[in-house]
Amino acid sequence: MRILPGDLSPGPHGGYGRLVAMFRLQGRTLAVDLTGDAVKAKNGSMVAYDGRMAFKKMTGGGEGIRGMVTRRLTGEQMAMMEVKGQGTCWFADRAGEINLVTLHGETLYVEASNLLAADAGLRTGTTFTGLRGGATGNGLFTTTVEGSGQAAIMSDGSAVVLRVTPQYPLNVDPGAYIAHQGDLRQHFQSGVSFRTFMGEGSGESFQIRFEGDGLVYVQPSERNTVGGDV
Amino acid sequence: MPFTEINSKMVEARVLPGRKMYSQRGAMLAYRGDVSFTPNIQGGQGGLASMIGRRVAGEATPLMTVEGDGTVLFGHGGHHIQVVELAGDTLHVEADRLLAFDGTLQQGTMFMGSQGGVMGMVRGQVTGQGLFTTTLTGHGAVAVMAHGGVIELPITPGRPVHVDPQAYVAHHGEVTNKLSTALGWRDMVGRGSGEAFQLELSGSGAVYVQASEEKL
Repeated sequence: MRILPGDLSPGPHGGYGRLVAMFRLQGRTLAVDLTGDAVKAKNGSMVAYDGRMAFKKMTGGGEGIRGMVTRRLTGEQMAMMEVKGQGTCWFADRAGEINLVTLHGETLYVEASNLLAADAGLRTGTTFTGLRGGATGNGLFTTTVEGSGQAAIMSDGSAVVLRVTPQYPLNVDPGAYIAHQGDLRQHFQSGVSFRTFMGEGSGESFQIRFEGDGLVYVQPSERNTVGGDV
Repeated sequence: MPFTEINSKMVEARVLPGRKMYSQRGAMLAYRGDVSFTPNIQGGQGGLASMIGRRVAGEATPLMTVEGDGTVLFGHGGHHIQVVELAGDTLHVEADRLLAFDGTLQQGTMFMGSQGGVMGMVRGQVTGQGLFTTTLTGHGAVAVMAHGGVIELPITPGRPVHVDPQAYVAHHGEVTNKLSTALGWRDMVGRGSGEAFQLELSGSGAVYVQASEEKL
């Protein structure tokens, strides 16, 4: 069994424990309870709050001057803000579905546009993805989130989590890919044949192939990608 | 109450003889029974004076009167629908978000500038809602449209709720609202967090917030 839909919602078996008390899903909004601590969120994604909150734009892309330079160079514009205060803050973005991801020291790779919020304790950075980026239409760089804590990622429609094991590699449409975590190698695959050049392509000429051990998040919708047209 | 939710994007309304209902023009999806739809030039209740009032205020959404005996399905543009039950209090909502409401409710227009003076005027401009809003008072149900799901946040005295103006849908109860700004030097140099303007709602009641910053 490779499909683990139960992993998305913190159920009784989920083992999210105390972390859930902080990030709560309310329909298509994310409620975060803050008691003087901070959370990182996508710029402008706050829809409501009670109590006292302060919003401050972060130097995205990573911490410090290095992160700032990286961000400028890579074009991975992760415009994020730091929300600090006491009370409850609700986040949402274009009525997208929200998925909670718990990290225990591993790294989550996610497109910057799909990252809604993350624990302040998680480190965010930018990494090179190789050829894949060109076909996904998201650029050659992607955002990494690492550490221990919770992150909220957005998807168009409710996402499925697909497990990749060494025996079962996974191929994903670049437009439907949103994030992955674990020890995975990815490479880009193309099924371009003479038919494609005759205008008889199936629309599935490009795929990302994941090998190794980990989880891949896939949304039931495809972004407009270069690869999707051929 | 007359509205039953079929799914998150459709409501079914029961129309009874002698009980009028108003709905946005073109929002009917299907109906059963003997129901008639009459375009309402006045754009709602009241006489000529209210009609002129609404035109001036820019809150004149084409409405139709639904009368007869039967059931009607309403929906519009695939937007999420939230049914709000009113028990004597007032609901403040933008006219274009109104899908359908009971004829028993008293419809009115309110000048938002009267709350908070100059800031009230600025508020209308910033939020793109204009200076006027529609009010519905009485006992009955209202179907309100929103982009994405809606959450209801209670407002209690001493615990005001701040809402992103673009995500604000409607509010009811004894609530005063004002525009609060958190403009700092960061916003001036283009490094704002995107949350410079907020609607501060205080008093007692509830506010409806949609899971999106998009207008309808």
